[in-house]
Amino acid sequence: MLRRLPLPAQIDRTITLGGLLASVVAAPYIVVLGVLFATGELSAPEFVFWLNAGLVVGGALAAVLLRHIVHAALGLVGASLGVAGIFLLLASEFLALVQVLVYGGGVTILLLFGLMMTRATDGPIVTDGAQKPFAFGAGIVLAGLFVGAMLDAEWDALNVTVVGFRELGIRLYRDFGIPFEVASLVLLVALIGAITIARREPAPGEDDSK
Amino acid sequence: MIPLENFLVLSAILFALGFYGVLARRSAILILIAVELMLAAVSINMVAFAAYLDPTRFTGIIFAIFVITVAAAEVGLALGIVLRLFRERASANVDEANSLKW
Amino acid sequence: MSDLNFDYTLLIPELILAVAAGIVLLADAFHTELRLNRTLLPGFTVLAALAAGLTSLAWLDTSDDFATLLAVDNFTAFFRVLFAFTLATVVIGSYEFVAREIRHQGEFYAMFLLATLGASVMAASQELLTAYIGLELLSFSLYVAVSLAKRDPRSGEAGLKYVLLGGVASATLLYGLSLIYGSAGSTSYAAISETFAAGTANVELPLLLGLVLVIAGLGFKISAVPFHMWTPDAYEGAPLPVTAILSATSKAGAIALLLRLFSGPLLPVKDDWQWMLAVISLTTMVAGNLIALQQTNIKRLLAYSSIGQVGYMLLAVATISDASASALLLHLGGYTVTNLAVFMAVIAFYNRQRSERIADFRGLAETNPYLALVITAALFSLSGMPLLAGFTTKFILFQAAAQDGYLWLVAIAVVMSTISLYYYLLVIRLMYVQEPDGAPAPDPQTGRLDRPNLRWRTSPASYAVTAVLLLGTIAIGLYATPLLEAADDAAAVLFPA
Repeated sequence: MLRRLPLPAQIDRTITLGGLLASVVAAPYIVVLGVLFATGELSAPEFVFWLNAGLVVGGALAAVLLRHIVHAALGLVGASLGVAGIFLLLASEFLALVQVLVYGGGVTILLLFGLMMTRATDGPIVTDGAQKPFAFGAGIVLAGLFVGAMLDAEWDALNVTVVGFRELGIRLYRDFGIPFEVASLVLLVALIGAITIARREPAPGEDDSK
Repeated sequence: MIPLENFLVLSAILFALGFYGVLARRSAILILIAVELMLAAVSINMVAFAAYLDPTRFTGIIFAIFVITVAAAEVGLALGIVLRLFRERASANVDEANSLKW
Repeated sequence: MSDLNFDYTLLIPELILAVAAGIVLLADAFHTELRLNRTLLPGFTVLAALAAGLTSLAWLDTSDDFATLLAVDNFTAFFRVLFAFTLATVVIGSYEFVAREIRHQGEFYAMFLLATLGASVMAASQELLTAYIGLELLSFSLYVAVSLAKRDPRSGEAGLKYVLLGGVASATLLYGLSLIYGSAGSTSYAAISETFAAGTANVELPLLLGLVLVIAGLGFKISAVPFHMWTPDAYEGAPLPVTAILSATSKAGAIALLLRLFSGPLLPVKDDWQWMLAVISLTTMVAGNLIALQQTNIKRLLAYSSIGQVGYMLLAVATISDASASALLLHLGGYTVTNLAVFMAVIAFYNRQRSERIADFRGLAETNPYLALVITAALFSLSGMPLLAGFTTKFILFQAAAQDGYLWLVAIAVVMSTISLYYYLLVIRLMYVQEPDGAPAPDPQTGRLDRPNLRWRTSPASYAVTAVLLLGTIAIGLYATPLLEAADDAAAVLFPA
């Protein structure tokens, strides 16, 4: 049974290939950033920002472009780790931790499990539709509009301050107690839904009284 | 200090990439991955606004916690449905689920 | 630390719903151990719905809030009662259907209870985060409920499309909310309204983008064209009672949220969004009614007709004012009653005939004149025939919208109402003019017709619930004053004098 799971071989190859590819693309980027940092063009936070931004965009590109679902899922992990780094930069340690745990851990494992259970074949499959050119155009237009809107505004930005865990807890559990409770119901619904929907039903005619 | 715009532009690009993924992909699991990217873009936006514009009340950080929670729950639920569909017709591609016309 | 009001008694209707959902789940899970009859589940659900509806009347004409997150006022009470009424009606009218078609009954009723809870939270919320999480609770419950008909392969497919597109819509809505949060620096409606009233010059474009995204995200939830792609599929694939909830609770909840948003925090930037809503209203009512002309499945027909109805409702949101908000609430009340009447009658029909094809309604006037009468009255009311609810509420709605200056849009709405009469009449003609299946042709020699008795009876529960809804449709049509007053009181909260 175990031997039939394609997971280890696939992951091995994925890591080798992905690592190779990533180093080819990422190495020059990191070198450039490092040089700029060393010459004082970039401050330390800026250096960290560009590093993480590269990780986010690279991971996201991998997640939406690669033809292999496992590669795409690993791209999502990369992007999530980058987002966690961005959260650290924005002084919210708690969110960074949650992001790594929930996305890097939970969501990705869940996705890979779903993948293993729905398609146990090894190798790339056709995953993209014929609507790709249209999607590409729409993506470009959307990105242009959004970036334009963001740059047009004049935000009255203040200084970033670190949010302590204590203050965050008070805010979350006291001021936003109601959404918190409702969110627990959302999780309950998702739990019940996933169990009842995915459970294998007894065949017709069999006794279904459990 | 890094200007706020940097974070916002990063989030905009991430959102657009996710949107592209939603439109271009056919596999339900890949569409889910793209939706997760869009939600991550929302989190970046929320946290950046909270850190720069609302540092005393930081509602955006609370909002991001909820976004992450709901996103994770959504993946679980959607995978449950994918699993059921797969059992019924041995495919996880959206456009092979076509007994209902779009 | 600020002083917040943590008076949990304000949330009694929501607590009742949540506790009832838990009890229903556990009762179903342990029904063999507890020696419970499963038929108790729908009864208990109805009791919980009635309890929630009645207790919410305790806060009529008061105005209070819970931790500045949820407001408990006439507007909230109006929607709490509307949702509770919808839930009770749907459960009574469909328990036979559920017993036969749905294997996981406890989960099914729990999803209905939680969807109602989520919708109430949306209607009561005073803050973006709370509204969003209420919306997600409503959506998640419906994602699950849509996929629960495990014997129907269409159900899982509808569920998948609904959950994927719903996820995209949520992300879009959230991005919009994040931009509004960024532009206003707060998520509380009151604070947003204050900031925007003081001027939005330096964040003009992000705010505009945020409004577009919020309207797109919410437009998906109320299935406004062009964000309606999921609606016909989800309606067709879902079990019939879920379709009823989708077309009633889900829509009313999103309309409540729209009203709260656009009459409060976003009112100062009215010039930015008014035209968007007018355009969407136009496309929605035109596309919904025109595509409805070609449908062969009764669920898809009702899906497109409900899209058309959303167009009329958006018309009132676009021209928001005291008068049009009250007219919209009145129309929503009338629409809910009428629409539920159609759905309950269709469920009664399905229980007997196992068919959703419009063609199978042929000769219903012969085989079950009562159901044919209910469907006819409700469809006429939906198209806006005088003496029925649809006419009165639409008349007041269009009048209010016309006063606010969208005369051309109102004219188109009237034309579209007439078109909708055409496809409703097709169904009615089938029921009254054509012969039922199995009726023999007249004897060629004598010309006499030997009719076998094709009559069948509706079950008592369906009978009772459709009778109440039919009476409601006629009552609102003839004497709308009580509902109008309730709508006025509720709308007055949004526009304090």
